[in-house]
Amino acid sequence: MFKLNLKIALRNLWKNKTSSFINVIGLAIGLAACLMLLSYVSYEWNFDKQAKNWKNVYVAMTNVPGEGNKIAGTFNGSTTALGPLLKQNLPEAKYIARMDYGTKSLIANGQNSYKKNSKFAEPDILKLYDYEFIAGDPKTALNNPLSVILTESTARTLFGTADVLNKSVRYQDKENLTITGVIKDLPENSSNRFDFLMPWSFYEIIDDSAKDLNWTNYSFVTMVSLNPDANIELVNRKVKDLVKAATPQTLQSQPHFLYQASRLHLFGKFENGKSVGGDIEQIWLFVGLAFGILLIACINFMNMATAKSEKRSKEVGIKKTIGANRSSLIFQFLTESMVLTLVAVVVAIALIELCLPAFNSLLNINLGISYFNTASWVGILGIVIVTGLIAGSYPAFYLSAFNPIQTLKRKISAKGFLRISLRQVLVVGQFCFAIILIIATLVIYRQIQYIKNKPVGFDVNALVEIPQDGELKTKFELFKSELLKSGAIKSMYQSSVSLSHHGRNFMDITWDGMTKPENTILFNQVATSYDFIKTNGIKLLEGRDFSKNFASDTSALLVSASAVKVFGYKNPIGKRVNLYGTNAYIIGVFDDYVWDSPYKSNNPQVVFLNPKQTGTITMRLNNANSLQSNIETISRIAKVFNPAYPTEITFINSLYQEKYKSEKTLGILSNLFGGLAIFVSCLGLFGLVAYSAEQRTKEFGVRKVLGASVADLMQLLSLSFIKMIVVAIFIAVPVSYFVMNKWLDNFEFRTEISWWIIPIAAIATLTMAVITVSFQAYKTAKSNPVDALKYE
Amino acid sequence: MIELKNIEKYYSSKGIKHYVLRHVTTSIKQGEFVSIMGPSGAGKSTLLNILGMLEEPTYGTYEFLGEDVTTLNERKRIELYRNHIGFVFQAYHLIDEMTVYENIEAPLLYKKVGSAERASRIADLLDRFNIVAKKDLFPNQLSGGQQQLVGIARALAAQPSIILADEPTGNLQSAQAEEIMQLFQKLNKEDGITIIQVTHAEKNATYGSRILHIADGVVKDDVSVKPIQAV
Repeated sequence: MFKLNLKIALRNLWKNKTSSFINVIGLAIGLAACLMLLSYVSYEWNFDKQAKNWKNVYVAMTNVPGEGNKIAGTFNGSTTALGPLLKQNLPEAKYIARMDYGTKSLIANGQNSYKKNSKFAEPDILKLYDYEFIAGDPKTALNNPLSVILTESTARTLFGTADVLNKSVRYQDKENLTITGVIKDLPENSSNRFDFLMPWSFYEIIDDSAKDLNWTNYSFVTMVSLNPDANIELVNRKVKDLVKAATPQTLQSQPHFLYQASRLHLFGKFENGKSVGGDIEQIWLFVGLAFGILLIACINFMNMATAKSEKRSKEVGIKKTIGANRSSLIFQFLTESMVLTLVAVVVAIALIELCLPAFNSLLNINLGISYFNTASWVGILGIVIVTGLIAGSYPAFYLSAFNPIQTLKRKISAKGFLRISLRQVLVVGQFCFAIILIIATLVIYRQIQYIKNKPVGFDVNALVEIPQDGELKTKFELFKSELLKSGAIKSMYQSSVSLSHHGRNFMDITWDGMTKPENTILFNQVATSYDFIKTNGIKLLEGRDFSKNFASDTSALLVSASAVKVFGYKNPIGKRVNLYGTNAYIIGVFDDYVWDSPYKSNNPQVVFLNPKQTGTITMRLNNANSLQSNIETISRIAKVFNPAYPTEITFINSLYQEKYKSEKTLGILSNLFGGLAIFVSCLGLFGLVAYSAEQRTKEFGVRKVLGASVADLMQLLSLSFIKMIVVAIFIAVPVSYFVMNKWLDNFEFRTEISWWIIPIAAIATLTMAVITVSFQAYKTAKSNPVDALKYE
Repeated sequence: MIELKNIEKYYSSKGIKHYVLRHVTTSIKQGEFVSIMGPSGAGKSTLLNILGMLEEPTYGTYEFLGEDVTTLNERKRIELYRNHIGFVFQAYHLIDEMTVYENIEAPLLYKKVGSAERASRIADLLDRFNIVAKKDLFPNQLSGGQQQLVGIARALAAQPSIILADEPTGNLQSAQAEEIMQLFQKLNKEDGITIIQVTHAEKNATYGSRILHIADGVVKDDVSVKPIQAV
């Protein structure tokens, strides 16, 4: 029976080429989109879940107190003192590893030097993550301070081979480290990635801030692995009490809690100290998108199947009279849809292989189908079965319920009204989804444009920055004068952070006339050298830039306009502010500029002179020379100062482009899948019109003989379909307006939904539909009436 | 074999009853060859459909093989289709997507007959109806008469005890029609299969042993005839 069903299913596929093509292509596109999105979702979902005991790995989070007993922010930094405290007093903690956030530093094998992602961590890190050691002993690899663990690809870049155990590499052109381990490259979807890992004990040697056990510097990460049976709520209460007992409590004290490390990636948004989601919202959106597209394709299948029901009903009637029961018919129809879905999935996999590179480069990720992974096959098979069932179930149950005598007498039109209306509902649903996606795309695009067009507060063009490495820290002034002399730049300054930075927030600030005993507002700090404003061109509202002419500028302060608002100073110039217990005097007020997120207003900012806090050198290029020659000159001079370091020149412009990445991704995806949704929907519409035309050939012939014009017939055939699209527009517009307004509410700086977006989306969809429908309608209407009437 | 008592069938529309069948009472014995005749709209086909359990009478009782089947559930009805009743239609109603062979095989598959038995029965039928050469063709590649032969072969495949035929020759030329009627007669005589056919043609009725004349839903006449001898 099954064999025969299969054979007939294939024959049916072959016989009805148009509808098979529409079904297969539609389903294949739906499946390909769905699988692609789902593989992205699983990539994101499995972030930091590679280690065997990932469930027990926690990261210490810090709550930043804010106004009125609220928690202003939550982040994953902690102090150096937290780790040792927990190690001694928290019995549930199995392993504890402190680490730094990771940075780019120089690593060299002789002349072969690269800047690679480095990380410092305590040896317990090797127990938290199951790094796969190619060489070396995980038990001892981080014991000696002057040791380093390389990833396989780092070893290959430096030495050309992974067999490098006990060889030596030079770190930051300062220290020689012995390679004590080589590990497999870390998976892309992990947060704590590095190219080489060095022991914390080495960190303590080269950086005093790591050695100093304190409760004030939150620049470190503390990872904790708890016993599997530990109760996290209990543990967190203990952590709170332990920290309370160990440190003096003030208004600014920042309580810690442990948070599952793997959750940080997707559930990293905190409000008032509570996790309120995060990127997971985007993931749900993608899942919705994936299944939405698949559903559209399934609806095509259902519609085509029920449209053909008159023909199929005869078959059902016959089969019932020769002894088929309902379940065998349901089984037959499901077999048909399964066969179709299987064909579609093969096409889909081919499509994925074709499109994945482009998709990857669009989203800047690296996905692939793992053909040798049973889980992925189970997943694909599962989706095929579910799709086959969804697509086939409605026709199967609907068709198999036909009464034999009615179908044989061709009397099913009695039920026709209901059938047509369900089909209409499905078509309307399809187009609703498609229109919502189009409007969403337009709104996202508008929002990105709005933010992009919002001035960042200075001229980003011709601004570049380079990291302040090696000799550039100590010989900055010489470097500056050399560069100025070369004429490649107009001016430059060094600062603790890049213009486009985030973090470096603090609260230890007081000002005159403060109402509270202590400040609870987060401020942002930038330490810089002379020519800060001159170089970056941020608008100065009052006062002046730092200047060598004023010796007192060592205790001078530039503050942002929003900081002045917080201070409440009427005439801020010359007013006193106390930073970390030291008095400073405001010499200038600059307009707020964009530095962290372009979507919200940033913290108030203070800028002070401190040449010791090095980090980044920012330069304004001299427009008189060509860009290329400027860059070459800078590289050449930097190389003279820092022969061991490669020169990395970054355009500030591109740093700001980066900030739109996440919204851009969203825009690209909704654009792409909105387009696909429209395409697949139109494909389905085409199928329906084609079928309806075929059914009405005779009617059209008669009408033509009676004198109907081509236009009359086209109208007759198209109107009912166009009506559905119009209904879809009326439903989709308010829905998408509501949803997109909600989305825009996430942003402090947001555009309004322009009125013209709606007619554009509506007209675009309608045009697509009209073209689809009238193509077929014209073909039918043009045909010779005699041919039509001879038929039958 | 078949007992009809006071069968009535009407459709009501806007409160008015339109009778299709009235007070039909008759019995048909195993091995009879009955022709139902009458003008268009007399209710012949409705009666056949009721006999085939494709329609339910509005009133009256119908016993098939001693069992009341007026309110039979679908499962039991399908059981009867599989084992006792074969249908032959005016429009043949072969399944277009299946070959001749598969069309004949289909009822056997539903009846869950083993594959060896299936093959031998189909081979036998193909042989008997002289359509072995056509077994891999699709219905639309056959003439009307050939299609009806396949239709009858399909009806016979499950070895039913009764064949219900609704104008089996209605779409056929006279030579082909004669061939089909002779076949029916042969099946009736040699295999003892009960045959009930609806027909317009007086000539076709003469192949049977009994004629039910129906007009306006009422059995006007019930006559036994001496069947003409097949050549």
